[in-house]
Amino acid sequence: MSLYSHRRRVDAVAKALCWTGTLFGLSWLVLILGALIYEGARGLTPAVFTEMTPPPGSSGGLLNAIAGSLVMTAIGVVVGTPLGMLAGTYMAEYGRYSKLSTVVRFINDILLSAPSIVIGLFVYTVVVARVGHFSGVAGAIALAVLVVPVVVRTTEDMLLLVPGPLREAAAALGLPRSHMLLRVAYRAAKSGIITGVLLAVARVSGETAPLLFTSLNNQFWSTDLNAPLSSLPVVIFQFALSPYKDWQQLAWTGALLVTIAVLLLSISARALSSRGNYK
Amino acid sequence: MNVGFNRQTRDDSVSDLAIVAAQPRAAEVERGKVLRRMALFDFFFHNLTRSAAILVLLILGGVIFSLIYGSLPAIRAFGLGFLTTESWNPVTEKFGAVAPIYGTLVTSAIAMLIAVPLGLGIAIFLTELCPHALRRPIGVAIELLAGIPSIIYGIWGLFVLAPFLQQHVQPALISLTGDIPVLSSLFAGPPYGIGMLTAGFILAIMVLPFITSISRDVFDTVPPVLKEAASGVGCTTWEVMRYVVIPYTRVGVIGGVMLGLGRALGETMAVTFVIGNAHRVSASLLAPGTTISATIANEFTEAVGDVYTSALIELGLILFVITFFVLAAARFMLMRIEQKSGA
Amino acid sequence: MTAMPVIETKTSTKVSVRNLDFYYGQSHALKKISLPLYTNKVTAFIGPSGCGKSTLLRVLNRMYDLYPRQRAEGEVLLDGENILDPGIDLNLLRSRVGMVFQKPTPFPMSIYDNIAFGIRLYEKLSRSEMDGRVEAALRGAALWDEVRDKLTSSGLGLSGGQQQRLCIARSVAIQPEVILFDEPCSALDPISTAKIEELIDELSERYTIAIVTHNMQQAARVSDFTAFMYLGDLVEFGETNTLFTAPQNKKTQDYITGRFG
Repeated sequence: MSLYSHRRRVDAVAKALCWTGTLFGLSWLVLILGALIYEGARGLTPAVFTEMTPPPGSSGGLLNAIAGSLVMTAIGVVVGTPLGMLAGTYMAEYGRYSKLSTVVRFINDILLSAPSIVIGLFVYTVVVARVGHFSGVAGAIALAVLVVPVVVRTTEDMLLLVPGPLREAAAALGLPRSHMLLRVAYRAAKSGIITGVLLAVARVSGETAPLLFTSLNNQFWSTDLNAPLSSLPVVIFQFALSPYKDWQQLAWTGALLVTIAVLLLSISARALSSRGNYK
Repeated sequence: MNVGFNRQTRDDSVSDLAIVAAQPRAAEVERGKVLRRMALFDFFFHNLTRSAAILVLLILGGVIFSLIYGSLPAIRAFGLGFLTTESWNPVTEKFGAVAPIYGTLVTSAIAMLIAVPLGLGIAIFLTELCPHALRRPIGVAIELLAGIPSIIYGIWGLFVLAPFLQQHVQPALISLTGDIPVLSSLFAGPPYGIGMLTAGFILAIMVLPFITSISRDVFDTVPPVLKEAASGVGCTTWEVMRYVVIPYTRVGVIGGVMLGLGRALGETMAVTFVIGNAHRVSASLLAPGTTISATIANEFTEAVGDVYTSALIELGLILFVITFFVLAAARFMLMRIEQKSGA
Repeated sequence: MTAMPVIETKTSTKVSVRNLDFYYGQSHALKKISLPLYTNKVTAFIGPSGCGKSTLLRVLNRMYDLYPRQRAEGEVLLDGENILDPGIDLNLLRSRVGMVFQKPTPFPMSIYDNIAFGIRLYEKLSRSEMDGRVEAALRGAALWDEVRDKLTSSGLGLSGGQQQRLCIARSVAIQPEVILFDEPCSALDPISTAKIEELIDELSERYTIAIVTHNMQQAARVSDFTAFMYLGDLVEFGETNTLFTAPQNKKTQDYITGRFG
């Protein structure tokens, strides 16, 4: 009987620890979001969206940084998504059983979790060092390289979920695989793939490390993609580590904006995927 | 209809007295044309997708190649000494990777020490203990934690966590461990706030969601009958986890932990904010240090001269090689658990 | 080797299977199968699970080509042309040999588009011509009256039996010559099953039909000829009436009387 009560005690302790651990883990989310909202909202004025990043010691906004982020993210996604979808399609369809797919799948999984700063170094050596200067294009390329593995992975997974009989039914009409894909399988996998793209956007829109030495930063309004370009994360990094109160405040506000954007993206991605795929 | 009768052998007993000779009908010729056009497109599309797959391969190849190429000047200048030298002096252009490597390993170790038990606990909570209504919201909250960009953790760590640790936690640690031989040197020195302990702490918060969600997914691969059978012989919830679920999923859990480790090793921004950027190896966890990624992030754009730049790229190469092996091992283990549950 | 009974009926052979062997990797799934499919007749394949009846069906439109390590040897002549020939145009073959699957497989699009989709691939039609063709196909599949008011809603919203008839209509719409049914009723209720069976009977006026079924009564009801298969061998082939009333082979007799299977 004492053995039994000992076992019961161990069980109770283990359960209590799990409960505490979960509360502890969740409290970080609350603490981080709380600090962000508290500190960030204070600086949330219209000027943030209408003025350029200021020189030290004066006030200003984040307009050029927001615009730069949007442009680079957009280019990165527009370039990376088709590439990722095509590669994912190859792995799930034409090359499902090929050696190439096995290798690419492995490589892609590595790329998926590879340190993003290494991608920055890669683009620096391949683009920036060749061209001779930092540029928005280089930053967009770095983001595209980060988008690709996410999209490859979701496209492959989603196409694999498309039921085999549906595929066969299309083939039974005489459709070549390309038509089956374009007309039937992509349609069936649509919401899953869009989810993947949204998650990819969420991921790159907060990325800082790969932009540090590709697009660098630019204090002024610039539409020249061939020149250094400002971005929200890099500005946050630079301003937060500065000794100036104005800059630190802008960093908090920028951080709040980035977080809101990322959370909205991942929540809508989740909502979309829970609405379900083809059944 | 281009295939004729010529290769047939008419030796079997099937009655084919009335097989109609292949006579292409008008509609069929038309259909053939359409199909040839579609086949051409299919050929094109097939090769397009294959090229994309190969391009993905080339990108990774490019990453490795460019890192090696960029490291060459530093490799020529320092050879293997790069891995054993502590000093990092841009003025004399003498560089060694010991301090960043040490910092990377120590901060990641602290992170794993905190995040692994915590992550497993939360995963157990989510699969076994959590009331059904809460399961999904908590799961989503944990995953949102994973989605927050690392720079947010960085700025929060710098302005909120570091001052808090400096004022409340670190002084207590120092005085508590003051008389204990080993611990006193681990927690020695003035409480800076920023330093390796704080960086490890932030990393722990960052990798926690990864470990949690992978462990949860892996726990879910355990066939319910197995758990029911264990409960059926009178096992408590904890005993079911301890003696059935965790042994059954061990490989997968280790895979998830390695994936988290891969993240921790390569994480840049969160660490850069709170590590203190000091190129030295200190025994005390409270002392400022640096990691590979923080060094690169801090110094790359200001690096003057080929050797300096190249030394930083070589650091990147080292980081990539380390994470490559960790991630490859992680994938290998997760693949094994997937096969197990698929079979 | 099974001796082929000489069939007295005045009919021509649409498909002729000769010495067909089929392999999944190392496993030998079909062994020297020879049999005809007669034009505008229904041929049923029966036999216990794993006997190779579905495999045989999937050779007839080379569906197995989608998968690796599956191969067929021998000859399958469609109007005298060997469809196992590597040079054959698979998609043209499949447009001539339609297939209906075990589970209904409507595409994720509207009812109208499910039908029009296949037609559009092969023919350029005006809107009104297309409407006519879609209606004809749906009427052909005895579905028109049930869906005429909701042609634009998703095909996935139909009941299982309706979905299956939609798939038949889709198949018929591109005007194939042969239609293969792979256990088309196994996921359906008795009423839907009766409708499909009736439909198969009507379709046999215009198409050559092969059907795989688990259900012997169904084979007896819908088919003109029946092939009984067991462990990859063709045990007996003959007119359905004869095969069910006076089976030549002991195994066939045991199976149709329910002694195993």
